[in-house]
Amino acid sequence: MVEILKIDNLTKKFKLSAKQRKINKTTDTYKVALNGLHLNAYKGEIYGLLGPNGAGKTTTLRIICTLIKKDQGTILFDGINLDDKPALIREKIGFLTSELKLDDFFTPNYLCDYFGALHHMKKEEIKERKDFLFNKFGIDKFKEVKIGNLSNGMKQKVALVVSLIHDPEIIIFDEPTNGLDVIASKIVIDYLMELKAAGKTIIISTHIFSLVEKICDRIGIIFDGQMAIEDSLANLTKNETLEELFFRLYEEKGGDLNA
Amino acid sequence: MHNIWIIAKKELKRYFTDFRMIIGLFLPGVLIFVLYNAMGSIINNVESLPEEGIIYVENEPEALKNLLDGTPFTIKRSDTKLSKEAALDKLQNEEIDLYIIYEEDFMQKVQNYQVDSGEVAPAVQIYYKSASTKSEQLYTTYLDALNNYETSLSNKFDINKDQNINYDVTVTSDIFQELIATILPFLLLVLLFSSTMGICAESIAGEKERGTISTLLVTPIKRSELAFGKILAISITALSSSVVTFLGVITSIPKLMGGYASGVELYHPVTIILVLFVIMMTVLLFTTILTILSTFAKSVKEASSLAVPLMMIVLFVGLMNFGIDAHANNFVLYLIPIYNVVQSLTSLFNNTINPINFLLCIISNLGYVILGVMLLTKMFKNERIIFNH
Repeated sequence: MVEILKIDNLTKKFKLSAKQRKINKTTDTYKVALNGLHLNAYKGEIYGLLGPNGAGKTTTLRIICTLIKKDQGTILFDGINLDDKPALIREKIGFLTSELKLDDFFTPNYLCDYFGALHHMKKEEIKERKDFLFNKFGIDKFKEVKIGNLSNGMKQKVALVVSLIHDPEIIIFDEPTNGLDVIASKIVIDYLMELKAAGKTIIISTHIFSLVEKICDRIGIIFDGQMAIEDSLANLTKNETLEELFFRLYEEKGGDLNA
Repeated sequence: MHNIWIIAKKELKRYFTDFRMIIGLFLPGVLIFVLYNAMGSIINNVESLPEEGIIYVENEPEALKNLLDGTPFTIKRSDTKLSKEAALDKLQNEEIDLYIIYEEDFMQKVQNYQVDSGEVAPAVQIYYKSASTKSEQLYTTYLDALNNYETSLSNKFDINKDQNINYDVTVTSDIFQELIATILPFLLLVLLFSSTMGICAESIAGEKERGTISTLLVTPIKRSELAFGKILAISITALSSSVVTFLGVITSIPKLMGGYASGVELYHPVTIILVLFVIMMTVLLFTTILTILSTFAKSVKEASSLAVPLMMIVLFVGLMNFGIDAHANNFVLYLIPIYNVVQSLTSLFNNTINPINFLLCIISNLGYVILGVMLLTKMFKNERIIFNH
């Protein structure tokens, strides 16, 4: 197995404003989001990142995508340090999260051209990718309709296509089926499997156990900014289901299911 | 009543616990206080500012040589003997500020003159140029002083008595030029600011509000490239709007003035190009400052609120120009952002621009723009600002 993503001792603290301290009823100046997190992902696998709200999943993904900076730790992409070549890393990544929005004023067609150009793609390459992805996700029908006039599901599909326009090596999806109907969800899941078969690495963050059990090769469960467990799905679910494992670990880490 | 109070309490809590809203509500009042005080000080300073006036006097009586003592003016006399025509030319060209003609043996004639004799009273002619602020102020000051002296002598001489003579040497084009130099810098400043304000607020704060900026930040572009790209687009848009506005103003105001002449005829093409240059720098400066404010804001509405104090400063600086000629010798004024634009535009429209002052204005504003872009790049790298953490 070729290690494509290696994260060691990742730490991130967010400074709390006076207002946030009041809301959280704390006197601490900082909130620890990640506390020495380790993560390893291999080429050609689908990696599932699980954890309760506030555990640090989204923060981890945002740091990997260089949207925010880490405080400590190292992140290696295919042996390249993220600190040394962040722009190169961004070229290799396709990132999709519900926080990424598209400008209502433009059409899917224009936005794909725009983001393709920002990824240094040639016009012919962009056209080829657009033809393929538009056909795959049924965007052809509304490719010239402004984003503002599309339904949420359509917008989500366009965002997905925009994140994949440059044919990234690593695809990072935060809740990949969020906002999609069952048909669109199936298309996305099937496409993720195709990407995996093509040797791409996919990291997804989700709350849906069934999705993880269906598509993931390996999983990592995060509690309080630390990796509680990381292994192949097969190894982890030998004696218990994924859901049982998750809640057992949650309680072992001091979580209260009756709270 | 109880429900009304509950609703009102909730609304008041909303208004008075939002720091940015409080700034928007109360800062203008504070600024007005500060600006009006500053304006008062400046006006008082200007009024009491000793200015050098050059006068050319024919047959000046010895007793009246100190007439302007105690006024803000320091008087310098032009000693070269001039013909009337040459003196009026010099006044027209603003080489001298007043041209005064006393009758020969004026004091003797005044002494001998009997008010009820029916004879023509001794006369004084004072030529001035109302299009020049200094000349007009000096004329008023001299006239007041001479009137006081005349009153003390029981009205024994006349000043500018001949109705057929135009003692104001200002020609129509001078009036027009003065009007342009007074109004246009203010008008342009306000137009440039307002055309830039809307685009800037939408460009960054709008992207932050809609969440579209994150989509851009996960592409391989550098944040400095994003900052430069934004500024470039806003500047081009605001500049196009400004050029059209400028052309509209320069070609239409003269028509409104009675079809005397077009702005293009009145100014040398180089002057027009220099004005456009100042406009371009101003747009860049406004774009940079407003983009910084927009980046700091969480929403378009907030960005617009943050721009209000700046707009008041722009209005204030523009208004400071009214009735005051540009300072030609104070280089420091050409380094003050926004104020240096007003100074340069006024000088350009008056055709009195000093090349060093002009260069200082352009270079200093370029420096402010570069500093602003550096700050903006830093802000784009700050996740607390970009993601409103």
